Amino acid sequence: MKKNPFINLLIFLFFSEICFSYEAIDTKAPDFTLSNSFGEEISLSEFIGKKVIIEWTNHGCPFVAKHYKTGNMQSTQQFSKEIDAVWLSIISSAPGTQGYVTPLEANELTMKRSASPSHVLLDSDGTVGKMYEAKTTPHMYIIDEGGILRYQGAIDDAGGRGFMFKDLLKAKNYIKNGLIELNNGDDISSPITKPYGCSVKYAS
Amino acid sequence: MFVYAVILSSQSIHADSQFQASNSKISLVTESLTLTENDELLVGIKFELEEGWHTYWENPGDAGEGASVNWSLSNGFEASEILWPGPHRIPVEPLMTFGYNDEVILLTKISSLKNASFPLDIKAKVGWYTCKDICIPQEGEVSLEINKGEILLTEESAEIDEYLSTVPVDFEQLYRIERLDDKFFLQTDIGEGDHYQDVYFFPKAYGLTAYSDDQKYEKNLNSFILEISASKAQLNFDAFEGVIEATNSEETSYFNISYPLEDEKAENNQSIILLLLFAFIGGLILNIMPCVFPILSIKILRFMDHSENSSTKTYKFGLYYSFGVILSFLVIALVLLLLKSSGESIGWGFQLQYPIVISVLFYLFIALGFMFMSNLVFGGQLGQLSSVARVNNESLESFLTGILAVVVASPCTAPFMGSAIGFALLQPGINSIFIFLSLGIGFALPYFILSVKPSLLTFLPKPGAWMETFKQFMAFPMWGSALWLLWVLSGQVDSDTVVMVLIGGLLISLSLWLLEKNTSEIKWVKWLVRLVALAFVLFSVSIIPTSYSEKDTQSQEELVYSEVLLDQYRNSQEIIFLNFTADWCITCKVNERVALKTKSVKDIIKQKNIKYLEADWTRKDSDIAQKLEEFGRTGVPLYLLYPSQGEPTILPEILTEDTLVRYLTEIN
Repeated sequence: MKKNPFINLLIFLFFSEICFSYEAIDTKAPDFTLSNSFGEEISLSEFIGKKVIIEWTNHGCPFVAKHYKTGNMQSTQQFSKEIDAVWLSIISSAPGTQGYVTPLEANELTMKRSASPSHVLLDSDGTVGKMYEAKTTPHMYIIDEGGILRYQGAIDDAGGRGFMFKDLLKAKNYIKNGLIELNNGDDISSPITKPYGCSVKYAS
Repeated sequence: MFVYAVILSSQSIHADSQFQASNSKISLVTESLTLTENDELLVGIKFELEEGWHTYWENPGDAGEGASVNWSLSNGFEASEILWPGPHRIPVEPLMTFGYNDEVILLTKISSLKNASFPLDIKAKVGWYTCKDICIPQEGEVSLEINKGEILLTEESAEIDEYLSTVPVDFEQLYRIERLDDKFFLQTDIGEGDHYQDVYFFPKAYGLTAYSDDQKYEKNLNSFILEISASKAQLNFDAFEGVIEATNSEETSYFNISYPLEDEKAENNQSIILLLLFAFIGGLILNIMPCVFPILSIKILRFMDHSENSSTKTYKFGLYYSFGVILSFLVIALVLLLLKSSGESIGWGFQLQYPIVISVLFYLFIALGFMFMSNLVFGGQLGQLSSVARVNNESLESFLTGILAVVVASPCTAPFMGSAIGFALLQPGINSIFIFLSLGIGFALPYFILSVKPSLLTFLPKPGAWMETFKQFMAFPMWGSALWLLWVLSGQVDSDTVVMVLIGGLLISLSLWLLEKNTSEIKWVKWLVRLVALAFVLFSVSIIPTSYSEKDTQSQEELVYSEVLLDQYRNSQEIIFLNFTADWCITCKVNERVALKTKSVKDIIKQKNIKYLEADWTRKDSDIAQKLEEFGRTGVPLYLLYPSQGEPTILPEILTEDTLVRYLTEIN
């Protein structure tokens, strides 16, 4: 029997929000609801009308640590705040693995590192991480005002061998550049890059 | 005192050449502590990790990072890039990483130039990650002194050689990469060589293949195939590059693979202007196709009739008609794009792959032919519904005619412009919409021009009885088109179903005849007749086949193999191509896609009247197994080409379009 394209069309129409992958660049980012570090339920859909940056994070990961130690992540967060974008830091580390934090610890980390995410979201069962196919910490996503995914990948071009010897402040910051391009009404010049860092510590 | 000094110095060298970090230790190892000018020396950074820890390959996979080494050497010496030994798979569910467990030596060649100044001071600043479930970034410096002298192998050199033997070398066998849909296929002819038990591909860069998907390895008699999922990131690469790990009973070998990839976009670099022009001309030509011409010619004659009365209005009909046509083409374009984005690879003509669509079109053509023959006027009812705004209704009628014209044109476009429109669909979204638009404009233009300037048709006789005759005659191309649709249908369903659809056509005609003759004055009789006609139509629709009959599973080109059939063809001295295949055989499927089912191969098979037999071994069949055994095979694929006389040729397991065409051309 041949595949029926009309069935596929129906599947596509009904499940396009559930099945999600990189192909979805320039399509609708799937919605999710997670608790933030203050115990509030936060949904992606409530930020329609604003740009949203999602950062997968794990404070124990040396890649993430370098981005925070050098102030690179904070300055990127600050930049997005200035253009009134929403910054969601998501932690998908399973309990007992590196990077897993209680809400209280998450707030302490934000304070200690002078970070300025709009929300720190806790995804300890990894549902949202797997939905977005987040592979590394950091792994970054940009979603535009219409809820369309416009970028996925690394925070900057410092990845690759010798990362730890590199000066992050000299690297090309894909998030800042992407936000500037979107603000100018342009497409993001490299909408997919290779994310680099530690593996997301999903529950196995 | 002297002895003491020696011990001290050897200790200090030793301490320098090693660096202890948490959970891991690195050391600088060398194959010789001496070296002359114009020579090469193999050194390496040896990583010793505690059990369960690993470090990464140059492409770490989904996460992590390979080590980096900054060399500083005395004047007159140069260090090569790192020679990475073959990596291992280190899965971290649901991710996949590539690296080395427990121990590895990353090798580097140091060359001494003519003016090298000894002793050589080697310093290496190493950054690496030691990982288990977590990663520890580490940094250390190791150094070594090399004196002038002939190469004198150290104890470490054996170990260095061991790792050197796993550094990938170029793959000597013939291989090719085919990309079909979202899979890459690495096909290799291993000739007389031994088979590997397993093969795995490690990509060089991100965005080529999906790291965590399983790869399927299939052995054939003298070839193998590896199926690798493409990455969803869909980055464009000039070449398929990476390393294959090939394991046989004794050892694991690593080979570099690099195969040029055709840029799919480059093929579509045809000028959009040219495509638009072709689409426009195609649209023009459609007007005289047998599906469309009758309807249009009759419509044109009708408004000619109108123009006799008031010459100012006809352009309106043309405008509404063009609107209907162009809108329909835009809807078609959007539907096709939507289907395409759902991952369906469709071309134009897909509409004729569905028995349901063909049957509905068949009814439509039968009905239109009947209307031409009789006095039933399509849309006549609409005209009667409102006498208030007659002009508006005629505009609506023209609009609907436009839509109808596109619908009836669809079966004629398929064989005629299928590939052209299919090509249009490969274009980025907005371009393909423009192509459809251009097609629509070309299609609508002749009608529109005539509606604006009916005087162009003054060469025709004055409207009169000849028009009725012309209209009736036009039923025949309509029915001819219906006949053609039925033929297409007969390739998809069995003969019983075809007969059912024919009965449906009969009932549709009967119901139209009833409606035409339904001039009774008695109201309930009139309604009863209408009800009966409606019942006939509904019944006709209900018997439309919705799915393929079993027959479809065999396309018409290949014949099912049987020993009897083969003997029969052999006796009548036919040229025979015998394809042993199976659904689960990846090599077979790839060969079919890239060689057997290509147009040039099909053409030559047809042209030389070669009998194409297919022996399907999906469910293992003892007759086929016996035949395979005759040729010393225990499995598929096997391709046999029988000349009209004499013994068959066994074709290679890996077919390309070119080789197959050559074999088929040469055989007699």
